[in-house]
Amino acid sequence: MSTSGALLGAEGEEEARRRLEAKGYRVLERNVRIGGAELDLVCRHGDEVVVVEVRTRSVGVLQPPEETVGPVKLRRLVRAGRSWVVSRGWRGPWRIDLVGFTVDRNGEWHESHLRDITAGMVCE
Amino acid sequence: MSTILGLTLRGTRALCVEVEAEVTGGLFAITIVGLPDASVREARERVRAALRTVEIPLRGRVTVNLAPADIPKEGALLDLPLAVALACRTGAIDEVPPALFMGELALDGRLRRVRGAVPAALLARTMGLPLFVPLENVPEVALVEGVVAYGVPDLPALFAHLRGEAELSPVASCEIPEHEAEPDPDMADVKGQFQAKRGLEIAAAGHHNIFLVGSPGSGKTMLARALRGILPPLSKEDFMEVLLVRSTLGVAVEDGRRPPYRAVHHTATLPAICGGGSGLRPGEISRAHRGVLFLDEFPEFPRDLVEALRQPLEDGEIVVSRASGSVTYPSRVLLVAAANPCPCGNDGDPSEPCRCSASERERYARRLSGPILDRIDLYVSVPRLTPEELVAVEGHGAESSADIRRRVTAARERQRERWTPLGFGCNAEVPEKLLRKELRLGGAERRFLEDAARRCRLSGRGLARILRVARTVADLEGADAVGTTHLAEALAYRQGGNAWTTGSRRFSS
Repeated sequence: MSTSGALLGAEGEEEARRRLEAKGYRVLERNVRIGGAELDLVCRHGDEVVVVEVRTRSVGVLQPPEETVGPVKLRRLVRAGRSWVVSRGWRGPWRIDLVGFTVDRNGEWHESHLRDITAGMVCE
Repeated sequence: MSTILGLTLRGTRALCVEVEAEVTGGLFAITIVGLPDASVREARERVRAALRTVEIPLRGRVTVNLAPADIPKEGALLDLPLAVALACRTGAIDEVPPALFMGELALDGRLRRVRGAVPAALLARTMGLPLFVPLENVPEVALVEGVVAYGVPDLPALFAHLRGEAELSPVASCEIPEHEAEPDPDMADVKGQFQAKRGLEIAAAGHHNIFLVGSPGSGKTMLARALRGILPPLSKEDFMEVLLVRSTLGVAVEDGRRPPYRAVHHTATLPAICGGGSGLRPGEISRAHRGVLFLDEFPEFPRDLVEALRQPLEDGEIVVSRASGSVTYPSRVLLVAAANPCPCGNDGDPSEPCRCSASERERYARRLSGPILDRIDLYVSVPRLTPEELVAVEGHGAESSADIRRRVTAARERQRERWTPLGFGCNAEVPEKLLRKELRLGGAERRFLEDAARRCRLSGRGLARILRVARTVADLEGADAVGTTHLAEALAYRQGGNAWTTGSRRFSS
């Protein structure tokens, strides 16, 4: 990934943190390397733990950010999330959210927040 | 742990199913245990979406247990109890009074029509519990007496009811609709064919199976359809039996007391006719229960299928047994079989010569086995109409279906009075021994029968059938004793079948 891409990614994570906190999420940890993947944000929302994957794209890239998370990435997220939950001793419900940003030419950020993206998946 | 009651179907019987739900921490997943079939397993997606519409989010690991564990559960009708159990478990509703729930959920929380509402109502009645059904199932449930049921339009309405916020109104029971459909076609519209009409009248009166033999285009199918119009309306008990089968199949109540009529094509498979398939569904013979089962081109039916009909025709019920279990369905049908007299269809027709060779005709006649022909009491030939009859003005001198039905109903009434103390409904059901005892034939009648038996080489069973038909002919006339004229007419309907039973070639009697 080019430097500008990495920069945009980091910027996106910061933007996501700000917006989530405004929505009442409390960020517990950021950029946790665990279980073979990196969790961008781990938050607390109500009585749930939310693992947030942030994806940022600038306009012109054909794929919308949500579509860049495929089944392989999703499985990796589930595994990493499970490791986190076990290592931190969390016993309540948890879920995985996806926050996607598209930055348009005027530098404006368009957000799409998908909640509980593994809901339809059979996780064993 | 919350326990909610749902149900699953086993034939025409509903079995109570306990739905238990447990939620623990973790990533969201729903596991359903207790032998669910594919449609029950898919319920988790529907239930989750439907619960979201009433703002009950499901989180964590959800385990649903369907008890008893050894009975296979089938159908979408478990959606509703599942949703109620999960709502209860997550604390969205506190106390659920004991009740039976059934219904399929739409993603937006509405309830969809399910099959099996009538068996469910019967179960609720015996258990003494109220029943919650989808609104669309209310018409059939309303026909079951003595059941407390509620029609549920959607999930929010049900939860409001369970929380005591807004009461659902109970289903008001209603009478069986007396809807009198116009007979289609009316017997008066059928030109000519006086002998066939008379045969059908006797068949309807005594519930005798009938075989129509005639050239193509002679009106066999039309006659069979007209038979429905001369059958007496279903009694209350009969109607409930018919309703039970229809509800099990998920077919709407529409015909009121009109007896069912099912025409089956000869390419139908064995499970389609006798019942079976996934979920051991009832077949056509059960759908035609208390009504008419019409098998056109009877010799074209595969032999094993025809043989499979023997037992249900005799017993009035059919046991469908598979590895997954066995269920019993009713199958008391009036069988109307139709066939061409020979492969080319022209045999016995004066206007066109038959082109079949003797061996072709022989093979054709052999397709039907003796045992199945033994179940058929009446053989009627349906000749092609003459040009004069074809052109004649409609309804010329012909009786209407309503008039014939009046006679048939009266004859059925006489039979009921006679046989009910002995446990039978109509002449065709009565065993030979009882029949002979009841007939008390006089000397002249005995001599007539002896003569007939000698000349027509009647078998014991053949003779019994003649007696049975003669009894119905006498009942139609309102006569108490069976006379020679009744016997002679019965014998004529027997003669028509000779070709099938002996392999000889003449059908016209």
